[in-house]
Amino acid sequence: MTSIDVQNLTKEYGTRRAVDDLTFRVLPGRVTGFLGPNGAGKSTTMRLVLGLDHPTSGSATLGGRAYATLQDPLRRVGALLDAQAAHGSRTGRDHLRVLAASNRLPDRRVDEVLEETGLGPVARRRVRTYSLGMRQRLGIAAALLGDPEVVVLDEPSNGLDPEGIVWIRSLLRRLADEGRTVLVSSHLMNETASFADHLVVLGRGRLLADTPMREFIHARVRPAVRVRTSDPAALESALARHGHDVVEHPDGHWTVPDARVDDIGRLASAAGVPILELAAEEGTLEQAYLDLTAAETEFTARHQEV
Amino acid sequence: MQFAPVLRSEWLKIATLRSLLGTLLALFAATTAFSAIAGASDTSDPGFDPLSTALSGVMPGQIAAISFGAMAVSSEFQGGALRVSLAAVPQRGRWFAAKATAIAVPALAVGLPTSLAALLAGRAGLGSAADGLTGGEQVRAVVGCGVYLALVALLAAGLATLLRSGVATLSLLIPFIIVVSFVIGDAAGPVVDFLPDRAGLLVIHQNHEGTLGPWSGLAVTALWTAAALLAGAWSLRRRDA
Repeated sequence: MTSIDVQNLTKEYGTRRAVDDLTFRVLPGRVTGFLGPNGAGKSTTMRLVLGLDHPTSGSATLGGRAYATLQDPLRRVGALLDAQAAHGSRTGRDHLRVLAASNRLPDRRVDEVLEETGLGPVARRRVRTYSLGMRQRLGIAAALLGDPEVVVLDEPSNGLDPEGIVWIRSLLRRLADEGRTVLVSSHLMNETASFADHLVVLGRGRLLADTPMREFIHARVRPAVRVRTSDPAALESALARHGHDVVEHPDGHWTVPDARVDDIGRLASAAGVPILELAAEEGTLEQAYLDLTAAETEFTARHQEV
Repeated sequence: MQFAPVLRSEWLKIATLRSLLGTLLALFAATTAFSAIAGASDTSDPGFDPLSTALSGVMPGQIAAISFGAMAVSSEFQGGALRVSLAAVPQRGRWFAAKATAIAVPALAVGLPTSLAALLAGRAGLGSAADGLTGGEQVRAVVGCGVYLALVALLAAGLATLLRSGVATLSLLIPFIIVVSFVIGDAAGPVVDFLPDRAGLLVIHQNHEGTLGPWSGLAVTALWTAAALLAGAWSLRRRDA
């Protein structure tokens, strides 16, 4: 199967480094979330992988080959870069037929991906009349056209309605389960958390992290316990005896940082404190990401002072 | 990657855009109509050339050919369409050759009947004033005029690729043709004779006095077109999409 290999990739526009010595691999069989704020270099990296932009130095290859050397590339790699790329005066179906023709794909595939992306009923309408969500689906249909082993999607959930977001999530899952290599960029944390297995995080063109998503969160966000009681004074003294701090929240629940539910539950039971609610608080991707970028900002600031 | 599928794809792009087909229709209609009008007007000018008068509709009509070439390319430079195209066909030289072929073939296929219809429409108005024209002259003018229209469409396509904009191409080429040909006109010296429109349109003249003949004039236009296409191809290969 085909992986995406990025090696010391650098892209400069004038004096600005959009991508700075980036090295990472995207492996098949899992969804890799490509994270970073706007302007971090995600889209530039994707264009470099697709051979659309010329790198200043370094390389990006697919299964060891540069994109530009692929025969009928749509059969190997499917990409969505910009949902606005389809000409407004063409019908959605014609847009796909044009692409299919160039890579010797039959029109039958065009109709299949139109059905798969839910565009069947509007296939013969002009793209100009499409909503942003429909254009996004058309872009995804184009990416799936050649039944590719590698799928690269730039912000695919942009403009999709809630139903569309659920659909894209299950689509990405299925593509990865079929053994394909899936790279999906986003700047939305909760959205990425819902589909990614692995993360590649960029900041100002540099690689900040390349780890499985669970590890990324667990390494950066300490587990906590959420607890609610009808006898605050008793619980607080019980916790304090065992060296636990508590954070009180206005709605009445407390958070106990650095604790596990097993310990807090036993402790409360032994002290005879009535418990109304007890739950483990999982770290979120958002918290982990903010922790990472805060550290990065601090590092950059210190670096500049020196 | 083979050339034929890429060409088929580029042809489909043109065939599925009504505005592009519209410019080809406009090319036929404008050229024929203006030739009919010119044929029906005054023929008492001493320098009267019945052949170029009958085909004079090509002067305004070529603007439609230029628009066709420019718009066929400029649609690639809107909203990241070029990225989709080059992701499907990463061999940029091959892609551009297919694009140029897909522009040249319909331009020629419409340009030839357009020239014939314009000649017939012009002659209908000229009547006996056109009796002196030989068959050879008329065939040369019709074929040459059709080729000329395809060449200016390609010239515009090359320029639009270099400038990455249809608007910039049209605002450069159209005033250039109107200003040079209509304003400077006959007063101009030998340099003007080598401009793409002036040189190429020698092919529709009955009599030739300058350094260039009908076919050498058309060859000069072909050189301009080749230069524009090469510049476009160079820009396409070198720049980021």
